[in-house]
Amino acid sequence: MKLKRTALAVGLASLAFPASAQDAGWDSVVAAAKKEGKVVVYSMALGAPYYLAVLKAFEAKYGIKVESLDLRASELAERVRTEQAAGRFLGDTEIITTTMIEEQRKNGDYIQAIGTVPNAKNLRAPFKATEISVPAYVQPMGILVNTRLVKPEDEPKSWDDLNDPKWKGKILADDMRPLGSGNTMFAILQKKLGAAFNEKLAEQKPVFSRDLRNDARRVARGEYPIYVPQIFAFASDLKGLPVKVVIPKEGAPYAMMEFAMLKNAAHPNAARLLIDHFLEQDSQLLYANGWMLPVVEGVADRANDDAKPFANAKLMGPALLEERPAMMELAKKLYQ
Amino acid sequence: MTSLSSQQIERPALAPSSRLQGLRDGKLPRRLAVAALILLLAFLSLYPLSMLLYGSLHTTPPGIPGSFDLSGYRQVLTWPTAVLFANTVGISLLKTIISLALAVLFGWIIARTNTPARGALEVLITLPFFVPPILTAMAWGMLGNPQVGVINLAWRWITGSDNALVNVYSYSGVIWHMLQYSTPFLFLFVVEAFRAMDPALEEASRMCGASQWWTFRRVTFALMMPAIVTAFLLSFIRGLENFESPLFFGTPAKIEVITTAIYNSIHHQSIANYQFATALSFAIMALMFLLVLWQWRLLRGKSFQTVTGKGYSPRLIDLGPWRWLTFALCVAFFVISVVLPIGQLILGSFFQFFGFYQWDMLTLEHYRSVLGNSEVWRAFRNTFMLGLIGASTTMLLGAIVAYISTRTRWAGRQVLDVLAWLPWMMPGMVLAVGFLWGFAFLPSAISIYGTIWALLIAYVALGTPIAVRVMSAAYRQLSFDLEECSRVHGATWWQTLWRIMIALAWPSFAVGWVLTFFGIMRELSASVLLYSVGSEVLSVVLLRMWENGQAETVSVIGLMMMLLVFVFRWVQLRLIKRYISTL
Repeated sequence: MKLKRTALAVGLASLAFPASAQDAGWDSVVAAAKKEGKVVVYSMALGAPYYLAVLKAFEAKYGIKVESLDLRASELAERVRTEQAAGRFLGDTEIITTTMIEEQRKNGDYIQAIGTVPNAKNLRAPFKATEISVPAYVQPMGILVNTRLVKPEDEPKSWDDLNDPKWKGKILADDMRPLGSGNTMFAILQKKLGAAFNEKLAEQKPVFSRDLRNDARRVARGEYPIYVPQIFAFASDLKGLPVKVVIPKEGAPYAMMEFAMLKNAAHPNAARLLIDHFLEQDSQLLYANGWMLPVVEGVADRANDDAKPFANAKLMGPALLEERPAMMELAKKLYQ
Repeated sequence: MTSLSSQQIERPALAPSSRLQGLRDGKLPRRLAVAALILLLAFLSLYPLSMLLYGSLHTTPPGIPGSFDLSGYRQVLTWPTAVLFANTVGISLLKTIISLALAVLFGWIIARTNTPARGALEVLITLPFFVPPILTAMAWGMLGNPQVGVINLAWRWITGSDNALVNVYSYSGVIWHMLQYSTPFLFLFVVEAFRAMDPALEEASRMCGASQWWTFRRVTFALMMPAIVTAFLLSFIRGLENFESPLFFGTPAKIEVITTAIYNSIHHQSIANYQFATALSFAIMALMFLLVLWQWRLLRGKSFQTVTGKGYSPRLIDLGPWRWLTFALCVAFFVISVVLPIGQLILGSFFQFFGFYQWDMLTLEHYRSVLGNSEVWRAFRNTFMLGLIGASTTMLLGAIVAYISTRTRWAGRQVLDVLAWLPWMMPGMVLAVGFLWGFAFLPSAISIYGTIWALLIAYVALGTPIAVRVMSAAYRQLSFDLEECSRVHGATWWQTLWRIMIALAWPSFAVGWVLTFFGIMRELSASVLLYSVGSEVLSVVLLRMWENGQAETVSVIGLMMMLLVFVFRWVQLRLIKRYISTL
């Protein structure tokens, strides 16, 4: 019965949606994408200017309309889950973290194979496209300091420097207990620097916040001298303020952002074309200049001078899905 | 007993003629209309709630294989959740008591005293209600921050003290931010109740030798009971559901309430814990149900009809020189709750970075960027369209339901009342999940999901409880003599409805419309889950920009919204004055 239903669903899907041209040449994909006329992307970009610039360039180049729905991670996951479970296939593709894609695969049948995209061959090591995901960009994190409150000689150079007693009660941090960049940093540093690091950091009594984009400004205003983890890109638009992003010598924990194709996407060819467009050198350069880490060869060195250190930062990670519940539990225990 | 049996036996034989009779009497159309209303309200309230009930009992959300158990409710019955409840109830109760006291004071000043410029003061006192909470939260974060807040910097500069005068990241900060909304909200109810009262009752009390205070307590206050109890209850429930204030000012101080716990269990867990979130919501719903029962018990069997066929005009109390003190009190509330935060926003909107006031950072770029942003304009259009249509539809529905439940003895009227009240008992963000699931799982031929209709329906559902409460309170104050008198003098039912009921209840309708309209303008928790590409609304755009660190752009949009609020309120008050009072 289930088999019959699946066969029927596949049959109906093939009638209802334009055939994916993944086996044909790329030109036919482009032609099919233009015929589809639009693509719906679910993202967590929060209206970032470099993201919007890439979409605009895509629309101008191909004449294909992009409808982008910017959501928080949890909202995006629930929307995709509900739509897929209810059979309402509104989204074509999503840009989310690798762990979220893994979670989607674990919890249900929400995503489908992307097929090859020509620009995937330009990915730099260690980034690789898989059957169901294509790297889009990397979001690394460091330490933010207020340059008026922290003398150059006192600036933390490594993650361990945060545990200097002089910073006790003076560190603002993204909450490490719930899901988010705070917990990503916690999990990666636990693995790379050992359990003692997080135990000592907890003794420093960091003050937690969940207001990721505004915390850097709080540091700039002098509320706190230090903030962790500072997503590089979120400080790129604060030029003129007394803040500085430090890349610790051990490296920067990071979140890997990837494309996935949603099951029964109405515009699969346009989605593939958009994914390919994201891996163009010019698209990646927009991201690199926004202090994100590009995933294709030859872009990091073309970035603006102020962006180069961030585009070439040494990475630490990644956080793994299977470790997440234990790390969240541990963070809750340390920061009761 | 015999006659009952005889009726039962005879009924089938008489059925065709009694049906015709029923049709002639208008009973059948009436029953059909009530049934249709019950169906409509059930779709607006029971349907999303049933999805949530499923969610609270099922280990996985709808559409995912799982099993039924009570683990969500077991999680609710723990000591940490009891602390959450105590926190939530304590904060809400305190803010409701303080804001009710302020609202009664301001209502009395505006409606019953000779305080100067009362018309202008009334508009000013109600203004904080219309400012989106995210804007004032942002501004108060700048004003009352213990380290670098403008108030504390000024305090340290003046006194030389090292301590902070105010700290918004505290219990009092949470309550203070909530007060700014609940005081004008309660004031809107209270001031109308003061106006609707026949002063002859107070005069009679005074003539019998009662003091001014005794008269106020035993006559004025007692007669305002329906409005006050309704307003208290609505405000208290709204306090239990409040999300922005505890999120902004409570979370940094490790103060958790039920809504932030629900938010955390949905948004900040490794896997969203909908079962706990929905079970917790049903626990609040049980608490709210007890409150409603208390309200019914309190008002049962008492008559509060103060609008009768007798003409009167409210008598103003001459305060002498004290009128300037009452004037100053009203102005002080306006200055603290509107001028300070809005001033902070205006200041911030002209500088490159919010909070950094240097000459070389002065800019008009944020205004240029907003004016040239097509998404913002689309959100403005969507929001206003949804506000106008949503508020009108909600108030019409609320007026009909309230009329049936308070002025008729029709069968099914209590079911209507309960159904209309249900959405109010669930926190908006959880109800939004119910709507999301509900719309997604409708038959595919019904395309509500992902369209602007999803938002409109959710807004009507969320606004109906308040619309019904406002109109019920208005109808309860109207004496039945008025309707009977009209019918005795030959007016038809429709003429009576139009010339008596609608004409007298119209000001309350207008108040309810304004509350609903601005409720829609500010609504975030449902919008954020139900909007889609093309159906963005301003609150969502503001949230997205805020999350993206665009505080300055948020300020500009907020100020534009404020300007519209001023214009809108001015036009509305002019219209009420010119047309409605002469209806």
